[in-house]
Amino acid sequence: MNRALTSLVYIIARGVRGMVQAPLVQVLAMATIAVCMLLLGTVVLVWQNAQSIADRWGVDVPITVYLVDEVEPAAASELASRLATVAGVSSSETIAPELALQRLVEGLGDDPGLLDGVDADVLPTSIEVRLADSSASDDAAVLAAQLRSEPIVEEVVVAGAWAERAEQLLATLRQVAIGAAALVGFACLTIVWSTIRLAVYARRAEIQILRLVGGTAAFVRGPFVVEGLVQGALGATLAVALLWLGFAEVGSLVADAFALAFAAGSLRFLSPPECIVLVGFGAALGVLGSRAAVARYVEA
Amino acid sequence: MAILELCGVTMSYGSGRARKAALADVSLRIAEGAFALLQGPSGAGKSTLLKLILAMERPEHGTIRVADRDIARLRKSSIPYLRRNVGAVFQDFKLLSDATPRENVALALQVLGLPRAHVDARARKALADVELDPDTRRPVRCLSGGEQQRVAIARALAGEPAILLADEPTGNLDPRLTREILELLGSVCQRGTTVLLATHDPLVHEHAAASHVLALTDGRLVADSEGLARALVAAPTPESTVEPIGVPA
Repeated sequence: MNRALTSLVYIIARGVRGMVQAPLVQVLAMATIAVCMLLLGTVVLVWQNAQSIADRWGVDVPITVYLVDEVEPAAASELASRLATVAGVSSSETIAPELALQRLVEGLGDDPGLLDGVDADVLPTSIEVRLADSSASDDAAVLAAQLRSEPIVEEVVVAGAWAERAEQLLATLRQVAIGAAALVGFACLTIVWSTIRLAVYARRAEIQILRLVGGTAAFVRGPFVVEGLVQGALGATLAVALLWLGFAEVGSLVADAFALAFAAGSLRFLSPPECIVLVGFGAALGVLGSRAAVARYVEA
Repeated sequence: MAILELCGVTMSYGSGRARKAALADVSLRIAEGAFALLQGPSGAGKSTLLKLILAMERPEHGTIRVADRDIARLRKSSIPYLRRNVGAVFQDFKLLSDATPRENVALALQVLGLPRAHVDARARKALADVELDPDTRRPVRCLSGGEQQRVAIARALAGEPAILLADEPTGNLDPRLTREILELLGSVCQRGTTVLLATHDPLVHEHAAASHVLALTDGRLVADSEGLARALVAAPTPESTVEPIGVPA
């Protein structure tokens, strides 16, 4: 084992020993990180579900073109292809009756049985048209007017002003979420730094001795970084667990209270990769907090 | 050959009207293997001088050479490597009070990245060299002052430094323990380590087997008996440059 690896083993061992020697400080730091990550996780969860609901409302499909019964699939595809080439259109997709029924079933969430016996043929073939971000606000209305003159078009629904307002609301919500996440993240870093600084202050004599006997900055800082990493990861894991418990308790109540809004789909919790990212973020927070807390003592 | 050489070293604390000179144009040389005694009253600049040698402070002017290397302008990242070559003991011991003597000594070896078995073996030897039981499980706070200072000396010597700095190492000890620690430092010197001992205690001057005596007053080096033993200080000859400052009658 080379010297660098041996030093790493000593650093980890001293980090673990430090945690064992001061369990109360560890619990305090971990709880602080857990509370911070709970706040951050709640912001992420609320924003994510708001986005999900908005998607289900169809805000991102400003024009839906319903075609006449018995339309030939080739004719529908040909119109969709033509639409895709129109300036200002980002995409157009043909939705067959079977796919429309499948979406409807999925949208009913826990009650798909409501559509038992319903045949896909009762639903019309449609084309969903999405506009480019750069398109003008009245482009949708102009395009809809043109489409209404097409012989195979039965009806054109433009989300119009409502969609625009919903988009604006969603954009505002997104900005608020990003701002809140940044604010909470900064607050978390400050609180974690303050908490870990207490632990560092309690062990300043040890730091002074390590410097005195020739410990490098990395060797002196290392154990505190290990502690921060463990505290951050455990705190964030605790936060995810609490968030999940809270979601399980509150989520159904919210869904029931706002049944109209959530009729098209149920609320969802963070995915496993998102949970891992949150835990990783907590660990990074712990590392940054401990590095900042120990910095002034490490200076030779 | 000089292991330690200071040339025109000046250092002060504070700023403006509160500025106070701690060292003024100090130049000295200490030969390899010497037992140097740096004496002077409190506030004379002894601790500042040792801090400069440990690179805990930077001089305003002058050069400080340890083993022929100028450390006054050392990069921060290089300071730990200097300290591995310069052992230090202090009046307040600076030990981990809840750790055992062996754990305290091991700390100085762990920073070198030595394997656990080597660390353990060398820590045991260092403790045995200062006549302490390497296997004691008692935390150092349960040891006497003399034993704690022995642990500190063992830790300072464990890494086999070229020079050992001792800042008032007997300041907290009674006369019997003071003599024991001075004997120990004398034997350390005989084994080849250069010792620089700073003290204001006349008892230390009386009992230390110093080969080189220096005296500081108000930050100025007022006496330097390079090569002269304590006996010369006690009865100075006309040729001697030593001033009998702080020497008991």
